[in-house]
Amino acid sequence: MNAARDLPKVVAGLAIVALALLPTAGLPAFYDSFVYLVFFWVSLSTSWALLSGFAGYFSLGHAAFFGVGMYTTATLTTKAGVPFLLTIPAAAALSALLGVGVGAVVFRLRRLRGELFALLTLAVTFVIGTIILNTPIDGGGGVFMSAVPLPHLMPTPTGTIYILGFAICVLTLVTAWWVAHSRLGMGLFAIHDDEDVAEAKGVPTFRYKLLAFALSAGIAGAVGGIHAMYVGFLTVAGTFELTVPLYVVLMSVLGGSRHWLGPAVGATAITTLLYAFISGGEAMIGRAIVGLILIVAILWLPDGVIPAIQHWAKKRRPQPAKAQAEVVPVVPATVRPIGERHILEVRAVTKRFGGLQALAGVDLDVREGEIFGLVGPNGSGKTTLINVISGHYPLSSGTVAVDGVSIGSLAAHEIARRGVARTYQIPRPFANMSVLDNVALAATFGGPVRAQREIRDEARHWIGFTGLGSKEEALPAELNLHERKFLELARALAAKPKLLLLDEVLSGLNPAEIDNAIRLVRAIRGQGATIVFVEHLMRAVVELSDRIAVLNEGKLFALGAPRDVMRDPRVVSIYLGKAYAA
Amino acid sequence: MMDRTSAWPRRRVLAGMVGATAVLGAPAIVRAAPSGTPVKVGGTLSLTGFLAQTAVIHKIASEIMVEEINGRNGFLGRPVEYVLLDDQSKPDVARSLYEKLITVDKVDLIQGPYATAPILAAMGVAQRYGKVIIQSSMGIPKLQTYDRAFPATPFGPEPDKTYPNVILDMMAAMPTPPKTIVVLTSKFPSAQFMAQGMRDQAEKRGVKVLLYLEYESGNRDFGAIAARVKETNPDFLWVGSLGLESNQVLESLRKLDYTPKNSFHLYPAPGPLALSPDGDKVLCSTFLEPDEPFMSRPGMKKLASEFKEKATKANLPYSTIDAQACGMISEWQILEIAVNAAGSLDDEKIAAWLKKNRVTTVYGSLRFDGPFNHGDAAQLVKQVQNKEWKVVWPTEFAAPGVKLIAS
Repeated sequence: MNAARDLPKVVAGLAIVALALLPTAGLPAFYDSFVYLVFFWVSLSTSWALLSGFAGYFSLGHAAFFGVGMYTTATLTTKAGVPFLLTIPAAAALSALLGVGVGAVVFRLRRLRGELFALLTLAVTFVIGTIILNTPIDGGGGVFMSAVPLPHLMPTPTGTIYILGFAICVLTLVTAWWVAHSRLGMGLFAIHDDEDVAEAKGVPTFRYKLLAFALSAGIAGAVGGIHAMYVGFLTVAGTFELTVPLYVVLMSVLGGSRHWLGPAVGATAITTLLYAFISGGEAMIGRAIVGLILIVAILWLPDGVIPAIQHWAKKRRPQPAKAQAEVVPVVPATVRPIGERHILEVRAVTKRFGGLQALAGVDLDVREGEIFGLVGPNGSGKTTLINVISGHYPLSSGTVAVDGVSIGSLAAHEIARRGVARTYQIPRPFANMSVLDNVALAATFGGPVRAQREIRDEARHWIGFTGLGSKEEALPAELNLHERKFLELARALAAKPKLLLLDEVLSGLNPAEIDNAIRLVRAIRGQGATIVFVEHLMRAVVELSDRIAVLNEGKLFALGAPRDVMRDPRVVSIYLGKAYAA
Repeated sequence: MMDRTSAWPRRRVLAGMVGATAVLGAPAIVRAAPSGTPVKVGGTLSLTGFLAQTAVIHKIASEIMVEEINGRNGFLGRPVEYVLLDDQSKPDVARSLYEKLITVDKVDLIQGPYATAPILAAMGVAQRYGKVIIQSSMGIPKLQTYDRAFPATPFGPEPDKTYPNVILDMMAAMPTPPKTIVVLTSKFPSAQFMAQGMRDQAEKRGVKVLLYLEYESGNRDFGAIAARVKETNPDFLWVGSLGLESNQVLESLRKLDYTPKNSFHLYPAPGPLALSPDGDKVLCSTFLEPDEPFMSRPGMKKLASEFKEKATKANLPYSTIDAQACGMISEWQILEIAVNAAGSLDDEKIAAWLKKNRVTTVYGSLRFDGPFNHGDAAQLVKQVQNKEWKVVWPTEFAAPGVKLIAS
């Protein structure tokens, strides 16, 4: 059993040793050269995927980081006499620094996501190229490196380049594997699917993106440093060209850009295909055939080769007997006494969007163990208040404190780590993660630091608690609305929150599902959580809440016991009009 | 004007000329058809990618030359087989493919690729395996540092000094010699290299450089540059252009109602510039044109005819033989003569023979014993006259009745 489990590791180990020894096998140098180019593209496309595939920040600027690496090595070796090997870490460091510099500016601006980020990174490429072209770094004449001595790491110069390319390739794949299986990778995958939700679940999105950008750019820089020596003559036009980002995108997409091994598979396939048609007589036809193969592959495998294989393997695996998705909470609700301590204190909170005053000086206290209903007509500021408390929107003025600690100026992920969890009116699960991974992420980033096994056990507990036990491996798209609402709850609960903010968790459910949900919310309170509960469904609000606050036009309108508040003619009037209130 | 004579021993010159005449001019009837195992000559060209439009000219020229050589006596009596691979316009691919040609395909000889970056990538491989490499399109001779690399195009070892002086000689011979010059150039390595030379040599010869301006290769908007040219109003405009940049510069100047008094263009697309309404009387660099005296060189008429036929069949927009095609023809002529004269496929012997002898090609008599294996410079000036390119300088290379037309 252990032998079978260790087989892939043994095969990988043997492959690494065999590949490392290839230059000593006495094969024609072309094979060293060709395999080096495979390593080159594997490293470059995998490094691109660390940011663009994992975190979804689609970059067209990889040539900038690769080019900075190339020119760092070229400049240091030809103008400063620095030994070639020493220039590679310098190339990596400089490229990483550039990545961090760009990221530090770009990642602060929410609007610079998607195609704007792609265009901006492309612009960075042009700017860097222009600087290098118009300074003594290149100046337009190119940099010729024929006089730079190459260390004798292998019997031949091509062998030496090969072993360096191999080393960086192994390092890149190990890094990608580590990232994909680490807390960082989990956070990046969440950022890819929904960055705002990731932040609200406790993922330090800004820091993680910067880290991914630094890794991505740093590896590209190191690859560039080695490749400068392989090419031998650098020009700005040849270095900062569009084909580099286009190739890495194509390779990553073909193999599967969200999988650590996907870009490597794509890079190997495309490089090999390009070399399959190199004869002068078939050059044009060959390129057309390669293009056709890629089009067909991408049309048939839109998520890439590796995810397609995984999907196929998953379908072949015997499935456990599916239980009916009965979402009745199994944990009996036990009523705990409401404490005197204030878990949440909201003081004079205002929130403006330009000229619109969404919250106009709200004061609220929520007591420990309480279910606190927040109601009001549409546009009254309920969801805005939830967004302000959870850190999604910064405060315009006022203070918010949780458990006596002011959180008003904190980022959303820090607020999440202080025990505030929330759900969304329209469920926003991480679309490419299974139910288990969705919940495990919330437990990882929102809850206390624990081992992954413990976290996943905890996640399974909350999945079972919300009745989704048979759906652990399902993707959110396979769930119905009811189940997705409960997935929202499971995610929130997995963070072991002090304060749970539920935003219209009952909307869109049928009466039976609402009854289930009400039982579930009670059960959650039975676990010790304090709940702020935004809802339009008055039956549920009255049944569940210990106290109700009514918001109207961004102000606290009424506060008290549910039945008292709902009978207040002023409250009736803002819901139904003065005729009903009379 | 520069001195074109050299101190070469007459015997060597004669030996080369006799060899060339025997190879190129002798009737087919006296030659034996090549037989035996083919001699494999490997090379790459940028058949796809951004250099493909020009590389296809080299491919056609190579096909013509392989047919020609096999129609004579091949290499050492053996037929020649051309192993051509596509380097995709990428130097890294070029490097790997030359390694393939040498270490896997085991070619006997290699030919150089097209364009400076792939040539330098291939040159490194050739150097590691001691192969002779002959190339025709590297405009910066000082980069050709490998002992067995030979140029097929007569740039001379220092074209940044010699060629500007050819142009300055021509300027001095004009009825009203230009006293001021503006030098514009693309930041393309070989163009920039020549532009800097033009600026320096003009200053040395007392021509005042009013403006020296570099623009990024691939620039399309020349409005601001044209305004500065108009403002300085030089007697002579020198443009280190590539492709269609010259057309764009001249069009931008026309939009400002300005026509340069005299203008020179380094590496423009010849057809579009000759046919452009702005192209009349513009000057340009060349090594030969399909005109006299070049057409009287051995085999030239046949080569020009074959090229036209094949280029037309391949739907090339400009099917007249020119310096691009002749560069590759010259490569094959040098290799053919050197192999047969050295009597060996051994690269060391071929290189040694080339360093000691002259070779007559479509470019005239070339030698390889100077710095960077370059010999005499033979870059000429041509001019658009009635929508056709005519060599106008030095005057001995102008066709009968053709004269430089100055402003």
